[in-house]
Amino acid sequence: MTAITAARSPSHWWQSRVMRRFMSHKLALFGLVMISLLTLACVVGPWLLPYDMLFIDLRARFAPPFTGNHYLGTDPLGRDIAARLLMAGRVSLLVGFIAMALAILVGTLVGVIAGYRGGWINAVLMRTVDGFLSFPSIFLLLALSAALKPSPMMITVIIALTGWMEVARIVEAEVRSLKEREFILAGRMLGLGRAHIMFRELLPNVMGPIIVAATLTVARAILLEAYVSFLGFGIQPPLPSWGNMLNGAQQYLAGAPWLAIIPGAAITVAVASFNFIGDGLRDALDVRSDTV
Amino acid sequence: MTAFLLKRVLQSLVLLVIVSIIGFAVLNLIPGGPMAQYALDPGMTQDDMDRLAEQLGLNRPIWVQYFDWAWRMLQGDWGTSFRDGNPVTTVIGRHVFATFLLMGSSTVIAVAIGTWIGIRGATHRYSIFDYAATIGAMVALSIPTFWFGLIGIYVFSLKLGWLPAGSMYTIGDGSVLNYLHHLIMPSTVLALVHIAIWSRFMRASTLDAISQEFVKTARAKGLSERRVIMKHVVGNALLPMITLAGVQLPSILTGALVTETVFTWPGMGRLFLDSLGYSDYPVVMGLLMFSAILTILGNLIADIVVALVDPRIRLA
Amino acid sequence: MTKNKNGQIDHSRRAALRMIAAGGVAGLIAPNLLGKPAFAQTPPAAPTGRIIVGLSQEPTVFHPLMAHIEVDDGVNFSMFDALFRITPEGEIVPNLTTEVPSLENGGISEDGLNWRIKLRDDVRWHDGTAFSADDVKYTLELITNPDFRAWRTTGHALVRDITVVSPTELTWRMEEAFAPYLSFLTETFMVPKHILEAQADMNEGAFHQAPIGTGAFKWGRRIAGDRLELVANPDYFGEGPYIEQLVFKYIPDMTVLYTQFRSGDIDVVGQSYLTPDNYAEAKDLPDRVVTLVPKASVESIYFNLDLPQFQDLAVREALYAAIDRMAIIDALNYGVPRETETFMPTQSYFYNPDLPKHEFDLDRARQLLDDAGWVPGADGIRAKDGVRLSFKNSTTSGAHLREQAQQFIQQTYAEIGVEMLIENLPSAVMWGDFWVRSQFETAMVGITYLIGSDPDVTNRFHTKAIVAKGGSGSNNAQYSNPEVDALLEEGARTFDPEKRKDIYLQVQEIIRRDLPFMPLFANTSVYGIKKGVEGFTANANTRTESWHAAGWYWA
Repeated sequence: MTAITAARSPSHWWQSRVMRRFMSHKLALFGLVMISLLTLACVVGPWLLPYDMLFIDLRARFAPPFTGNHYLGTDPLGRDIAARLLMAGRVSLLVGFIAMALAILVGTLVGVIAGYRGGWINAVLMRTVDGFLSFPSIFLLLALSAALKPSPMMITVIIALTGWMEVARIVEAEVRSLKEREFILAGRMLGLGRAHIMFRELLPNVMGPIIVAATLTVARAILLEAYVSFLGFGIQPPLPSWGNMLNGAQQYLAGAPWLAIIPGAAITVAVASFNFIGDGLRDALDVRSDTV
Repeated sequence: MTAFLLKRVLQSLVLLVIVSIIGFAVLNLIPGGPMAQYALDPGMTQDDMDRLAEQLGLNRPIWVQYFDWAWRMLQGDWGTSFRDGNPVTTVIGRHVFATFLLMGSSTVIAVAIGTWIGIRGATHRYSIFDYAATIGAMVALSIPTFWFGLIGIYVFSLKLGWLPAGSMYTIGDGSVLNYLHHLIMPSTVLALVHIAIWSRFMRASTLDAISQEFVKTARAKGLSERRVIMKHVVGNALLPMITLAGVQLPSILTGALVTETVFTWPGMGRLFLDSLGYSDYPVVMGLLMFSAILTILGNLIADIVVALVDPRIRLA
Repeated sequence: MTKNKNGQIDHSRRAALRMIAAGGVAGLIAPNLLGKPAFAQTPPAAPTGRIIVGLSQEPTVFHPLMAHIEVDDGVNFSMFDALFRITPEGEIVPNLTTEVPSLENGGISEDGLNWRIKLRDDVRWHDGTAFSADDVKYTLELITNPDFRAWRTTGHALVRDITVVSPTELTWRMEEAFAPYLSFLTETFMVPKHILEAQADMNEGAFHQAPIGTGAFKWGRRIAGDRLELVANPDYFGEGPYIEQLVFKYIPDMTVLYTQFRSGDIDVVGQSYLTPDNYAEAKDLPDRVVTLVPKASVESIYFNLDLPQFQDLAVREALYAAIDRMAIIDALNYGVPRETETFMPTQSYFYNPDLPKHEFDLDRARQLLDDAGWVPGADGIRAKDGVRLSFKNSTTSGAHLREQAQQFIQQTYAEIGVEMLIENLPSAVMWGDFWVRSQFETAMVGITYLIGSDPDVTNRFHTKAIVAKGGSGSNNAQYSNPEVDALLEEGARTFDPEKRKDIYLQVQEIIRRDLPFMPLFANTSVYGIKKGVEGFTANANTRTESWHAAGWYWA
C-alpha cells in the first residue's frame, strides 16, 4: 500500500502542485501573512510594549488612542489596550486552534467510522450529527456556557462540541464514495484490519477536505468565543480575550467607542485571514465544497 | 412520493427525540437552577426554595423528569414556565412574530442584493466587480454580527442620530413607517452575512446555468444577452437555491438571535437569554424544540419543493 | 397619603418618627421633591396622559403571591393593595385597613400573639365585587397552602385561626410573637377569593395572565418581551390615579435604556435605573430630572468564615483595610454610591452612624498580618501554619462593574502578599448551591437585608440560619455569634421601636467588629424622570420605583 500514496508525491513538498497553486492565490497568501504577523505579535508583542498589560491605573482610565504611549488607548481600569489586545489574542487564537483540533478529531473519527462501517452504525452516528445540526448551535452553546463553570478549557470544549458535525458530514461523504474504490477493495482482499484501512488508507485520501474544514473551523471558533465572551459567559477576567474585551464595551459606547472598535477589528482581521487561507487551500487542493 | 415523505417524516421524528435528549441532558446536568434568582431575596428562606423546587418537580430523578416531559410533549403539552406559570407555547408564541419579522425582512434584503451580486458576478466573471464581490463576501463572513451591530449603533444612533438604537417601535406609534425605521439597522446587520452566502451560491449556480446547452441554443436563436440571462439563466440558477434557503434557515435563526441581543429586539433570542438567566427550563426546552422543528421543516419543505419543481431530481 | 392616616398612629410611633425627621434622614428624603417646581402643582381632576416606565428586566409574574423578583413588584404595587403601606420615611400606614394594629390601640395583644385587623368598607375589586375580610383570610391561607407556589412564607407560617368577625374585621393568632410581620404585610398583596376559587389550578390560569386587583390601575394589555400597559381604575378608593395609562417598557440593555430616556421615549427610568457612568452626562440633560436615590442594598465582599484563613479576625481586618474603597466608589462607580459600615440602610431609623470608619491603609494591613503571624512565603504570598493567604473571589459572570472592582482589589491585595483569584460564575450557578450552601470562598454581592423597613436580620446572621450546617435561612457567611443570636431573638419579639433600636444598634456594632463581610458601599440608584412628571417619590423601603404610581401626574 505504500505504492498507493507514493504516486502523488514529487521530490519536495514545497515544489508540489498544491503548493504552487496555493502560493499563486493572492488572498490566501495575504491571509497567511496576516495570521503569521498576528500570531507573532501576540506571542512576543506583550514583552515589547512599555506597559504591563494588567497594571491597573485608575487615573489613566479611558485614555483615547494615541495618548502618550498608549497607542490604542486604555480601558475602564486604565490598562493599556494594545498590550491587552495582544494578550487577548493569545487566548482567542489558542481557543480557536484547540477547539478546531478537537472538532476535527471528533468529526473525522465519526465521519470515517460512519462512512466506512455503514449500516446501523452509520445510521446512529449520522442521525446524531443531524440532531446536533437541527437546532441553532448558538442555543446549545449558550445553554452550556450559562450552565457550566467557565474555564478557558471548558469554553474550548463547548465550542468544539458545536462544531464537529460539519466535518463529520464532509468526511463521511468522502469516505463513503472512496470505500468502494479499487485500492480499498484491494486492501481488504489483502486482509488488512478495519482500523488499518480506515486510518491508514482512507484517512490520507480525505485529508484535503479536512484541512480546508479545519481552517474554516478556526475562523468559526474565534467568532463563537467572541460572541459567548461578549455576553459574559465565556472567558472570564482577569484573563483577557477579544470577546470579553467587548463585554461592557457596549455600555461605554458613547464615551469610549475605541473599547468596542479595536477588539472587533482584531477579530475581523483574524477571522478573515483564516477564511482567505481556507479559500486558497480549497482551490489548491481541488476540494469541491458545499459551503462558502 | 408518499413513501419518500413518510421516510423523511419518520427520520425527522427520530431527530426530534435526539434533540430533546441532548437538550434535556445539558440543562439538567448542571448545578444551580431555577431557585438561584431568589437566593438574594431578603424574605425567602431555604425552606421556601426547597418547597418551590419540590412543587416544580425538580427533586425527581432526571430520567423521570424527562419521561414526564416527553409524555406531555407527545400529548401536545409543552409544559408551563417555571417563572410565571404560563404555558410554554403561549410564552414562545408571544415572541415568534418579532423574530420572524426580523428574519423575513433580512431574508428579503439578502436575497434581493445577493441575487443581483451573484448574477452580475457570473456574467462579468473576473471583472473588478467580481473580485470585489468575492473579497467583500469573505470579509462579511468574518465580521462578528454583534460587533457589526455595535458599530452600527455607534455610527447611526449615537453619532448621527438617524436610527433608533433598539426596540421594535416607539410606544404610541404603531405605524408601519415606525416599524420600518426600527427595522432598518437590525435587518441590515443580520442580512450582511446572508448577502455574502447567497451571492456566492448564486454566482456558482448562474455559472452552471450559463454553460448549459439550452442557453447556448437560446443565444443561437439570436435572443439578446439580457433576455437570455433573465429568461433562461436566472430561472434555472434559482432552482438549486431553494435548497439553500431551507438549509440556511438555522443559520438565519442563529443570526437573528445574535442580532436580537444587540438591538434589544423582543424576539425569541431575547426570550432564550432571559429564560436561561432564570433557568426557566421548560421555556428553554420549548425554544430548542421549536427551532429544531423549524429547521427540520425547512429542510423538508425545501426537498419537497425542489422535487415538485424539478421532476428530474429523483426522490431518494 | 391615604385618607384615614391621621389619628391612627400611636404615640411612641409618633415619637419615633419625630426622631427620624430630626436625625440625618431629612437629607435622604430629599428625593421626595424630585421634579417639584417652586410653585405648587395640583393633580388633574380626571386621569390624563400616559407615563412610560423603562425596566431592564421584564415583569412576568402577575400573581402577586407567587415567587417573583423585584421588577414584578412595580406592577404588583400598581394593581394590588396590601393591608398596610410603608412610606418613604419608614412609617407603616393603613391601606386596605382603617388602622395599623399596635399594642396601644389593642390591635395586637400585649404578648404580641393576637392580632385584630379592621378593613375599609369602600374597597372594590376591578370587576366591581366588594372587597371583604374573606379575601384577606383567603389570601393568608393561600400563601401557606402546600400546593401553592408561594413566594415568602416567613411570618405567614406563624398565623393560626384566622377568623372573619365581620366583612370589615378579622382576627388571628400568631404561633409566636413576631414583630417584623407588620412590615411583611406591607408587601403581601390581597388577591380576590371569588376569582381564584373559581379557577381550577391555583398555580396557573386566566388570573395569572390578566389579574384583577384593588389597585389604582387595572390590567390593560401585555405585549410579551416588550411592554405591559395598565389603565386607570377610576373607582380607586385611595388617592389617584391621575394618569390614564401606566406603561412598563422592557429594555434589556442599559445603554438603550439611557438612550431612550435621553430621547424622551421613556418618562421614568425604573429598575435597574441609569448606570453610574451615565450619571454625569444625564444630570445636565435639559428637561430631565436625574437624582441619586439611596437603595436598601449594600454592596459587599462576603467571607466564607468556615475557611481556615478567614477564621482569624486579624486577616479580615487587614483585608478590609487594604481595600481602596474610595477609588472604587469615585472612579469605578463615578461617585454615585456612598460609604457605609453596616448592613442597615443609611436612611433607616435603625441605622447606626457611630461605627468605626474604614480607612484605606496598606501599612496597617501589613502590620495586622505581620502581628498575627501571617508572614510572606517563598512565593511572596503570606502563610501561617501551612495555610496560604490565597482565596477565590466569585460573582455573577459578565457583571462588568463588579469585575472591574475585583481586578482592582486583586492588584492591591497582591501588594500586601495576599493572593485573590477571580472565579466568576453564570448567575444560575453562582446563586445556586454555590452561594446558598456556602461553597464559595469569598463572594462579591449586593444584598438587601430588610423586608420593608423592619430591621430584623435573623435570616442573615443568626446561627440557626446557616444552611451549610443544616439551618434554614441565608446566613451564607456562616457567621455565628451567640451574643448576636440572643439580640436577634429579642429584637424579633419586641414591638417598641425605641427598644428595638437599641438592640439593632448593638447588632450592627458587633457585626462591624466581627466583619463577616466587608462593606464596599451602600448602593445608590440613579433615578431619571422627565420634567413634568409630578408626584414621583422614591421609597427605599420598597423594592421598586413604582411603589406609588397612583400619585403620579403630568404638570
